Amino acid sequence: MTPSDKRGPARSRWEQRLTIGLIILGLILIGFFGFRAMRSFLRIQFTGLEPGVTDVELIRGWMTVPYIATAYGVPEAYIFERIGVPSADNQTKSLRRLNADYFNGEPEAILTAVKAAIRQYQAERPPPGADHE
Amino acid sequence: MSDLSLTDVFLTGMLTYGPPAFGLALLLGALGVPLPGTLFVLAAGAFGRQGIIDLAAASGLGLVGAVLGDSAGYVVGYFAKGWVARRFGHSTAWQNAQQTFEHRGGLAIYLTRFLLTPVAVPTNLIAGGSGYSFWRFLSYDVAGEFTWLILYGGLGYIFGSQWEAINQFISDFSGLLVGLVLFGAGLYLLLRRRSQNRRARQKWSTAGG
Repeated sequence: MTPSDKRGPARSRWEQRLTIGLIILGLILIGFFGFRAMRSFLRIQFTGLEPGVTDVELIRGWMTVPYIATAYGVPEAYIFERIGVPSADNQTKSLRRLNADYFNGEPEAILTAVKAAIRQYQAERPPPGADHE
Repeated sequence: MSDLSLTDVFLTGMLTYGPPAFGLALLLGALGVPLPGTLFVLAAGAFGRQGIIDLAAASGLGLVGAVLGDSAGYVVGYFAKGWVARRFGHSTAWQNAQQTFEHRGGLAIYLTRFLLTPVAVPTNLIAGGSGYSFWRFLSYDVAGEFTWLILYGGLGYIFGSQWEAINQFISDFSGLLVGLVLFGAGLYLLLRRRSQNRRARQKWSTAGG
């Protein structure tokens, strides 16, 4: 038996394992991501996508106050004032960081405060034409 | 809100420092650091629409970051070539894989930049390790990364504040595509093996009969 003859069965076994591995892994990924993709697709269909929507529930811990001010059309100074945080040195900090610095890390405290500030501003100054709808 | 993640750090960085933070995020992602590159591209598009980030500068620095990271992966694969050749060089399977990559590698490089993104980093290593020409790698890489930035950056721009919902679907769909490719490859090997066995049996029975 030559060395290449000895390699034959080993190669065959290796290919067999690779084939089974690829099929099993492929099926697992198809099942897992197929379900998730279908779910996220249905969620998008159900909720609908409105590019101009500025829902306060979309505010996240990584956002900064200047970003939220721009995205929601609320003055930066107003948000800082309402949440009781000085604007100096805090403009580049995320809400998560501000939460740790000024709210003793109390979970969701700053998110609740920022959302309330924006809702308050929107209630005080409804967008032009809103009362005619 | 207590679970601080690297993704959040880079998203805040993009808001504060703009395109350089975006370029750095894509560079690290291309190097294999587990960062969601597609999410950053979608976010950059959305931030561009909101006037937070300069889209031209973000596209330029993002492309440079992603291509540099991919090239670094290629170089790592290139320097591991000697070890790979010693370990697997005699294997017919490896030689076949090398030949296949030489012929169809361009398509693999292009598609893994924006469609099959979970396998982009291994593709860079294989390209370097299989001796695929660097300039060919670079041209397909730049084309693929450019498509990625335009396609997903455009989606982020179109969907604005709702880019997170789109990102979830794209990420799941990309995983599904990788699953389909792996399953297809396994099926191809299985059918090829059966066909080889059938031919061998026919040959054997003809010789015996």
